[in-house]
Amino acid sequence: MIGRPTAIALIAAGVVLSATAMVLPWYSTAYAGGVEVVVRAWGTDVLNKPGDWPSGELSPWYGVPVVVTILLLVAGVWINRAALAGAVGQLGAVGIVSALVVSERGHALEQQGDFAVGFGLVFLVVGTLVGLVGAVAVQREAA
Amino acid sequence: MRKVLGVVLLGLAAVAAVGATFLPFSELLIRLAPGQQQTAYVTSGWSTHFGGAKDEHGPLFGIPIVVMAAVVLVGVRWRKVAFAGAAGLAGVTGMLFVYLLNAISFHEEGNIAIDPALEAGFGNGIWVLISAVVLAFGAVVVHPDD
Repeated sequence: MIGRPTAIALIAAGVVLSATAMVLPWYSTAYAGGVEVVVRAWGTDVLNKPGDWPSGELSPWYGVPVVVTILLLVAGVWINRAALAGAVGQLGAVGIVSALVVSERGHALEQQGDFAVGFGLVFLVVGTLVGLVGAVAVQREAA
Repeated sequence: MRKVLGVVLLGLAAVAAVGATFLPFSELLIRLAPGQQQTAYVTSGWSTHFGGAKDEHGPLFGIPIVVMAAVVLVGVRWRKVAFAGAAGLAGVTGMLFVYLLNAISFHEEGNIAIDPALEAGFGNGIWVLISAVVLAFGAVVVHPDD
């Protein structure tokens, strides 16, 4: 049984890890000619963009829903239900990102590109799981 | 009465969420050449199609949605689980919405020169999914187990 101080510490660790993920690369794909597509929480950077690169930017702000869940986790220090909402909400958001990562990896390999997972995604996944353990423990403690 | 209403709303939320995965989340209708018929680029929870061709690596958004719908259903027994399921469904929907919003604008900008009359936008799936989130939170409010 995890006590409340440990549960709060886990939530805090989840928040710090998830917040760190907001500034690190999530994943990248390198193609021939030195072209590299780096996906982050706040958009996509294309390095050595060739002249025939499509117009428009596929550059979602994945960070927006994650910031909301991080704020809920922080509120969870005082409001138990907010911790649960933040942790499970973040788990759902990570589920969508996971589906995208698998898809992007498939596209990259099909086009002979090198796909790599970045530290940002690792921090996000670990932060989400750590925060979830803390949030669930807080609920059990309150029950 | 509240129990019945809670069960019905949770069931409806789960069915709506799973049903949404089979509907289009985003659609692009484009004429690749003047005089040609429109070709549809459609993303759903289980596939991405461009005309008759299927993207073999299309994102399977349906998986996290179905998982969260299952949590919502388990919430029939426990209010906290229902709340967690509703929150999880909201997280899935929020991230999917952010992705689709950008993907639609990307498709529009990237193809407007090919067909200035192209149509790009959200499909019915995302609206049904948002409705599922509302239903799930509604069910939590009336859930008797506290």
